[in-house]
Amino acid sequence: MNTRTIVTTLMVLVGLGLMVVSYVFLATPTCNTSIACSNPVMPFSAGIFVVGILIAFTSAIFYTVYKGSE
Amino acid sequence: MAKYAMAVDLDRCQGCRGCMEACKIENNTPQAVFWMYVFRTETGEYPDTKMSFLPRPCQHCNNPPCVKVCPVGARFRREDGIVLTDPERCIGCRYCEVACPYGVNYYNWRKPDAAFGAYDMDYSDPDVAAVTGGVIPSYKNPDLDLLQGDEQRLTAGGAHSVGVMEKCTFCVHRVDKGLNPACVDVCPVHALHFGDIEDPESPVSVYLRERSSFKLLDELGTDPSVIYVGGAPPGSETREIERPLTEVRS
Amino acid sequence: MTTEAMPQREHTQDAALPQGIGRLTPGWIVFFAAMAAVTAIGMYAYFLQVTNGLIVTGMRGLGTMLGATWGLYVAYYVYFIGVSFAGITVAALIRIFRITKLEPVARIGELLTVVSLILGALAIMADLEKPWRAVVNLIQYGRPQSPFFGTFTMVIAGYLFASLIYLYVTSRRDAAILAEQPSRFQKLYRILAAGYEDTPSQRIIDRRATFWLALAIIPLLVIAHSTVGFVFGLQVGRPGWFGALQAPGFVVLAGVSGIGNLIMLAAIVRWATNTRDRITVDAFAWLAKLLLGLLITYLYFTVVEVLTVTYQAGEVERTLSDALLTGTYAWIFWGAIVSLISAAVLLIWQAVTRKWSIGLIFAAGALVNVGAVAKRYLIVVPSQTHAQLLPYPTGSYTPNWIEWAVVLGLFALGALMIGVFMKVFPIVPLEEAE
Repeated sequence: MNTRTIVTTLMVLVGLGLMVVSYVFLATPTCNTSIACSNPVMPFSAGIFVVGILIAFTSAIFYTVYKGSE
Repeated sequence: MAKYAMAVDLDRCQGCRGCMEACKIENNTPQAVFWMYVFRTETGEYPDTKMSFLPRPCQHCNNPPCVKVCPVGARFRREDGIVLTDPERCIGCRYCEVACPYGVNYYNWRKPDAAFGAYDMDYSDPDVAAVTGGVIPSYKNPDLDLLQGDEQRLTAGGAHSVGVMEKCTFCVHRVDKGLNPACVDVCPVHALHFGDIEDPESPVSVYLRERSSFKLLDELGTDPSVIYVGGAPPGSETREIERPLTEVRS
Repeated sequence: MTTEAMPQREHTQDAALPQGIGRLTPGWIVFFAAMAAVTAIGMYAYFLQVTNGLIVTGMRGLGTMLGATWGLYVAYYVYFIGVSFAGITVAALIRIFRITKLEPVARIGELLTVVSLILGALAIMADLEKPWRAVVNLIQYGRPQSPFFGTFTMVIAGYLFASLIYLYVTSRRDAAILAEQPSRFQKLYRILAAGYEDTPSQRIIDRRATFWLALAIIPLLVIAHSTVGFVFGLQVGRPGWFGALQAPGFVVLAGVSGIGNLIMLAAIVRWATNTRDRITVDAFAWLAKLLLGLLITYLYFTVVEVLTVTYQAGEVERTLSDALLTGTYAWIFWGAIVSLISAAVLLIWQAVTRKWSIGLIFAAGALVNVGAVAKRYLIVVPSQTHAQLLPYPTGSYTPNWIEWAVVLGLFALGALMIGVFMKVFPIVPLEEAE
C-alpha cells in the first residue's frame, strides 16, 4: 500500500459514504405521501449527495496526477 | 385528525358553473384558470342525446401522483388530506401537471396582474368607469397570503406569480377557519358537500352513507378524496360541449 | 469565447502544432461566425422568454387549456442526454474490451458526451421559468422519489463530471507532448499536463485509472438513461407512457442517436483535421456495426410497443395510437420509421457486401438522428395532447419560433464548443511517439 492507493481509496470511500449518508437524510424515499416526506431531514442533503459523487470521481485525478514512488 | 373529503351529487348538478365563478372570486385566479371546472358533456347521437355535468375540482388524492413526482417537495399532502403547492418552493418544472390524470394543475404562463379578473380592460376608460363606479378590479383576498396549517407554508392560494404551478386548495384558508370551500357554499342546489369523512356525523359522511358512489379514474389507484354520487363516470362516448374561454392570451 | 481570445497571428510559431491547432483558416472563421450568429439568435429568443415568461412559447397547460405543457425543450433535453451515450460507450469498448481500432475516435466521443450533456442541462433549464431557483431548491430540497432527481444529480452532476474527468485523464499525455514545444497555448498545455511524465509506470497508472473509471461510469450511464425513461415510464396518468419498456427503450435509442452522432462528428473531424490515416475506415465499420446492433434492437422495441398499443388496448390508448399511426402525428411517426429502417438497410447492405463506405455510414448516422429526434418528440408530446383521461377535447401543440430558435441556438453552441476545442487541443489523440 502506498500513498496513492490509500488516498484514492479514501476519496472513493468518503464519496460513497457521503452519498449513502445524504441519501438517508434526503426527503426520505421510504414514504410516499406523508407531509413529513416533503422536506429533507437535513437541508442541502441533495447537494451533499452531489458532492459525494464529485469527490468519488475526483479520486481518479488524484490517482493519475499524484507523483510518488511506487 | 380530520380527513377532508367532498361529495359531488351528479344527479343534482345542473351545470350552472356557479362554483367555477365562486372559485375565481374567492381565489382571484388568473384568466383561463379554473381550479374548479364543470364539464358540460353529452352522450349519444341526435336525437337521442343526453346531457350531463361533471364538476372537477382537484381530486385531493390520498395517493397523489403529483406529490410523488415533485422533485423539490413543493407539492405536499397535509395530514388532513388536502394537497397543496408551496409557490415559493415550486421550480415550475410542470412534472405534477403531466403526472396528474385529472388535468387540475394550472401553470402561470404569464404575469397575471394585467388580467387578474376575466378580461383585459381599460378600467380608467370613462365608459367603463361609468359602469364599475370607478372601482378597479384585481381585488386580492388577503387570506390567500397567509401561511397555513401546522407546517406554516404557503398554499398557492395567493401568489399567482409567473412560472409556478397552482391548483385547487379546497379553499384551505376557509377550511382552517371552519368554513366550507367557496364552491360548496355557493352551490344553489346543494350538489357539493364537504366535511370530515372520518366523522360519521359530518355532512359528507351523512350524505354518502345511503348513496352509491364512484371516484374518477379509480382504477389508477390515486384514491381521490372527491367522491361522486349518482350519475355515471364519463365514458369513451362522452363529448364535451360548451367551453368557457380557455386560451391564455399573450 | 470570442475571436479576440485567439487573435490571428503569424503562423510560424504554431506550425509545429498538429491537426491545425491554433491556425484560423477562413473556413473555420466562417463556421465560427455562422454558429455564433445562430447562438446569438437563440440567446435573443431566450431573452424574450425570460422577460415575458413561458407565455411566448407554444406550450400551454393540459386539461382545460388543451395544450402540451412539455414541448420541444423536453424533447430535445431527452435527445441531448441520449446523444451523450456515445463517448463513454466507445471509451468502455476500448478500455474494457481492448478494441484499439476505435482509439482515434475516443476523444471525439468523450467530447461529444460532455458537450451534449451540457446542452441537455441547458435545454431543461430553458424549460424552467426560474432556472436559478431550480438549482438552489433542487440542492436544498431534492427528493429522490421524483425521477427528476436522477436527472439532476446522476445525469447532470455525476455523469457530466465523470465524463469531464475521463476526458481529462485520457488527454493528459497529449498535453504533456504539446507542452514540450513553444506555442501560444504552451502555458495551457503545461497546466493541463500537471507534471506528466511519459514513463512506463505512469502508463500503467493511466491504464488502470481509465479502466476503473470506465467500469464505474457504465452503470452510471445505464442509470442515467433509465432515469430519463422513468420520467415517462412511471406515470399512469398519461396513456402511452406507462410501461416497463420505456427505460430500456431510452437506453437503446440513446445509443442509436449517440453512436450516429459520433459517426457524423468523426467523419467531419477526419475531413477537417486531415487525419485520414488515423481515423480508418475500419474504425467507422466498427461504429457502424455497433450502431446496427442497437438500431435493430430499437426497431424490435418499436414493433413490440406498437403491437401492445394496437392489439387490445383501452379506448384512450387506441385514440393515442390512432393519432400516432394514422392521425395528426402519422407523418412524424412514419418519417421516423422510414429513416430508421433506411439507415438499417444501408448498414446491413454494407455489412453483407463487406464494403464499408464512410459516406454511406455518415448517411446512416444522419438518418438515425432524424429518426431519434422524431421519436423523442413523439414520446413527449402526443401523450399530452391526445390522451386526456377525462372528457377534455383533443389538444394541440405547435412549437413556435422562440422554441425553435432556442433549440437551434443550443445546437450551434454545441458546434461552437467542439469547434473551439479543435483549435485548442488535438481532438484526435496523438500517435505514440516512438
